[in-house]
Parts: sequence; structure tokens; C-alpha cells
Amino acid sequence: MLKSLSQIWLRRELLWILVARNIKIRYKNSVLGFFWSLLSPLLLILIYACFAAILRFNEGRPSYLQFLVIGIIVWQFLSMCLNDSLYAIMGSSNLVKKTAFPRMILPLAMVLANLANFMLTWIVLFLYLLISGMHFQYLLLLPVVLLAQTALCLGLALCLSACNVFFRDTEHILGVGTLAWFFMTPIFYPTQMQLKFLPESVAWVAFLNPMTGIMRAYRLLLMSGDLHGVAGELAVIPVPTSFLWISAAVCVAVLGIGFAVFQKLQFRFGDEL
Amino acid sequence: MTERPVIEVENVSKHYRLSGGARSLKAMALELLRGGRDVKTLRALDDVSFCVYPGETLGIIGSNGAGKSTLLSLLTGTIYPTSGRVKTHGQISSLLELGAGFHPDLSGRENVFLYGAIMGLSHRQMQDRFDAIVEFAGLHEFIDQPVKHYSSGMYVRLGFAVAVEVNPQILLIDEVLAVGDSAFQKKCLDKMQEFRDQRKTLLIISHDLQTIQRVSDRILVLDRGKIVGLGKPSEMVASYDGLNRKRNSEVFQREWGSGRVRITNVEFLNDAGETADTFEWGGGLNAVIHYQAQEPTENPVFGFSISDDNARVVHGSNTQIEGITIPRIEGEGRLQLRLDDLSMAQGVYLFSFSVHSADHTENYHRVDNAFPIAIACDKSFEGYTYMPSSWRTEP
Repeated sequence: MLKSLSQIWLRRELLWILVARNIKIRYKNSVLGFFWSLLSPLLLILIYACFAAILRFNEGRPSYLQFLVIGIIVWQFLSMCLNDSLYAIMGSSNLVKKTAFPRMILPLAMVLANLANFMLTWIVLFLYLLISGMHFQYLLLLPVVLLAQTALCLGLALCLSACNVFFRDTEHILGVGTLAWFFMTPIFYPTQMQLKFLPESVAWVAFLNPMTGIMRAYRLLLMSGDLHGVAGELAVIPVPTSFLWISAAVCVAVLGIGFAVFQKLQFRFGDEL
Repeated sequence: MTERPVIEVENVSKHYRLSGGARSLKAMALELLRGGRDVKTLRALDDVSFCVYPGETLGIIGSNGAGKSTLLSLLTGTIYPTSGRVKTHGQISSLLELGAGFHPDLSGRENVFLYGAIMGLSHRQMQDRFDAIVEFAGLHEFIDQPVKHYSSGMYVRLGFAVAVEVNPQILLIDEVLAVGDSAFQKKCLDKMQEFRDQRKTLLIISHDLQTIQRVSDRILVLDRGKIVGLGKPSEMVASYDGLNRKRNSEVFQREWGSGRVRITNVEFLNDAGETADTFEWGGGLNAVIHYQAQEPTENPVFGFSISDDNARVVHGSNTQIEGITIPRIEGEGRLQLRLDDLSMAQGVYLFSFSVHSADHTENYHRVDNAFPIAIACDKSFEGYTYMPSSWRTEP
């Protein structure tokens, strides 16, 4: 593992070029270019604001829109990484077939490019949160959560990019899987909604879904006032902060598994592509 | 040579699964249902070992599918051997395909830096070489255009320029000399010469036997994944030529007979007594026929014929016609056929040999068109064969 990491470090120049390439290519042939990274989250917030108001999602909870917007934007980082990972290796088959370099750089560059894009959306998100009210107390912890999510994204990207070389089914499984995962993660409903269905002794199981913990962590750090705006019977369900460690551990484990899978499969990329 | 080799290939095999490699979950499930896999393997390379020393130019020749490109891919590190070991010392730049890895939407400039980074060069190092690359490729006004707008010639030129200008220790070239116009080819050959002068190591694959013979120090001949020769370029090219001839003649090859006497082997010797497969027009040829008689045989008749490469008989004769009687043969033995004056036109000829009973009732063994030779001739005349002729003017 250390050997692979040092090899990647030696080729960091290539990594940066590939990250830049990925970012550049995303906005090729578009007039507004990278402004879309700012524009799309802005539009997203506006759309959710409109529909939340019209459909009365918030049931009188003022912070619901904030809750939802954080959830959606955080989810987008993951889902974009998952989608792009399918072609992280396949899309560069020419490079893989004809030149030698640490293969892991390809999915890594893809995740980093998405991370850069995600950081741009944070500009918009922060502006929105400033306007709608946030607290800054724990802001220093934000990079830790970001790191955990990036680890998760990278782990999955390593797995998916390698598997898609051998099994084109990966794409279809991913489509369905992502949708199911979206609904299993407290994005538009509060965490407590899940815990309601679990006996208190095994409530931690919900946090085996790393995104549950990550969502919770982001919201704890960013949202002001009465958290998540839960009301009524849900408000009494406790969500111990210690559960977040379970999700963090899963993130690290996923990264480890992704690394191992990729290490094992990369030797056969050249034969398959 | 006592120097440490820059490339060591030890007992390397590369096998590909032809079928049975489950491409999808469905295929995998079907395989499980059928029980067991029907795995066929293609031996792209089979137990190949050789070394290349610093400053050497090694040419690799072989027919399509012989494993040449597989070998270069293994050396590049894009694929890994099924068994055995590949060791390389020094930076390798490979031209498996010119401009491989260029991204169509990026400009020439960006692609140059991308390629440099793949080769492990820093931005600064590439910056120093950038002008030389643009110069060599002759792409001054186009370098900031996306490469998708390049003509294929421009694309290839940039690919070659960047690969040689990264200044590697080892350069692998796979059949890229065939592309580009003649001016560019000349430029490439000059560049390769420059590399050799700098004592860098080159590995070249080419079907252009003349060029490869000229530029290589040694030549490696691959056939069906195995090394069939490694040595002096002229010898290797000749033996590869022979191999091809043999392959071409296989269509016409036939063998039958009762097997009472068998022709086990035929050696072809030139006038100097060396084994050869190319003979001079007008010179002599000795064919040593090895036979084995399963049981004592009286009065066998040995015959031969020479056909052209379309299996049309040019000449044929036998011991009976020549009035030679072989009273009795038993066990293993040899018989020599001598042709004093090869008068056929330049080309490839196939020898056939036969042995049968004196009364032609039993054919012991006949091997048709199995032994190809080449006739080299610098006298130009028409037709299959030369007839000594003289001219004089009538008053």
C-alpha cells in the first residue's frame, strides 16, 4: 500500500494534470464554463425553495429548506463520483492500453475533480446559509467530515471503476443501487424517521450506512437552532453523536476495500480493455 | 558482454483466455449452470527469455500474431505476464501507437504536458523541451488547437516528437515507421540514429525487413509466441524469410504412402557444405535425404521434384530414370541428391521427395512441396528456367 502511495506521489504532476483535464472537459463546449459549478447549486436551491413553499413540505419548520439543501448538495458529490467512476478507467482505455503509470491515479483524479467542483458549490451553499442563518461554532470540524466523505467516494470509485472494466453490469447495478441508497439515507427526511423503526438497542445499525452519519455530521456542524427541525413524536428519539464514529469507520473500511479490489484487478486492465 | 542488461525477460509467458472469460453476470451464471468452464487459452507468448544491453538496438520481427506487440506491451508495463519476469532499468518511452493517450478536446500543448507527466517528467522539464517538440513536429501555429482538429499526419508527428523528446533511456517502437510521409520517415530514422549514437536502447518492431536489418544490432524472431532466433540481423532476416516461405508452402504440402520406407528429413546444403535455404542461380545444391526403412526393402526408387510457389512442377526425376539402382536398404540411412546447376528464375521453389517400389506398385512414402528454398538470381531472363543460349550475327 505504501508503495502504491509513493508511486502516486512521484506522479503527482500527472495527477494534477488529470484533475485539471477532468474539470476542463466537464465544461467543454459550454458558454458559461465553470460558472455552472456555481450556477447549478444556486438554481437547485431556488427550485427546492419554490417547491418546498408551494407543496408545504416544511410543515411550518423554518429550517427544513436548509436541511434539504444541505442533504441534496452533499448527496450530489457522492452521486457524481459514482457515475463518473464507471468511466474513470474505461474512458481512458487508450492511456491504460498504451502507457504505463499508476492506474489508481485515474479514479483518484476523478474524485479530486469532483471534490473541486463540490468545493465550488460550497461557495454558494455558504452564501445561502449565511442568509438563512447558520452557526460557525464547529466550522473547523468541517474538513474532517469532508475527508470522510471523500474517503468513501474514493473507495467506491476504486471498486466501481475497476469492476466496470470486467463487468458492464456494474453500470446498471449502480443506477438502481444509487436510487435505493438515496432513499435509505436521511436526505429529505430526518434521521429520527429511520430510528423510529429500529429498537433502541440496535439503533446504531442505521449508521452503518455511512451517508447517514455524514449527512448528520454536516447538518450538526452547519445548521443553527433546533436541529433538523424535527417536531412531535420524532423529537424525543435520541441520536447519540457517538454513532457518527460508526459511519466514519465504514468510510475508512470502504476505502480499504476499494484499494484492495483495485490493486487486485488493475493487473488485468490491459488484457480486458 | 559484461554490462548489466537494461531489459531482462525471463521465461515470460502471456496467455489470453479466448472464451469462458465471463463478460457479464449473465455469462457467469450460464457458465455455472453448464458446469465448468470451457476455457481456451491463446499463448501469445510462450516461455520467452532474452536480455537487451545498453546502447543496443534490437529489432523484433515475426508474422502477425507472433507476439511482437504483446512483448512490447509487457515491457511497457501496460499488461503483465501470466508467468515469468520482466525487468527493466531506466525510463521507457514507448510508441505502441503514436499519439496514444492524446485527448481530442485538449490542445496540442496540453497533450504534450499530459504525455510528459505520464512519462514522469515535471512541468519544468517539459517546458524546457517544449520548443524542441513543437519544432520537430512542425506544428507552430496549431499547437494551441484541440488535437481533434489535427490532420492524422499532424497527430502522428506530435506523437512521435513528444515520445522521443522526453528523452528516455529505452525507446520502444511498434510499427510506427510505416506512418507519415517519406520526409517524416526520414526524420524518424535520423532521430533513431541519434538515439543510437547516444548509446540508448531501442526496440523496434517492423515488417519492413530491409530497414530493420539496417538499423538493428541484433534481431529477435518470434513465431507463434516463441523465440525462433536471436542474432545477427542478416541471418535472422534470412531465416525469417525462410520461415515465411515454409508457412506459405504449407497449403500445398501433402504426405502419403504405405510407410514401409519413410523420408524422415531432408537437409539442403550449398556448395560450401553449409545448411542453407537460399541458393545462388547457376550454383549447386546438395540435398541429403534421411530415410528409415521399417523392414529390409529391395530396389527402392527415390525421386524428387521441384515446383514453383504455386505448386507447378518445374522439374522432376528419380533414381530409376537416372539409371541408378539401390539394391537394398535397411534401417536408417542417407542418400544425397546433387543439382549442379540451378537454372530456375529467381523465386521460391518447393521440393518434393518420394520413395516407391521399382515396379511402381507400392508407394512407400511421398512428401510433396514440403521443402521450400529460394533462388537468388541477378540475371534477368523470362520464364521459369534459363536455357544456355548463344547468339551470333549472320553475315
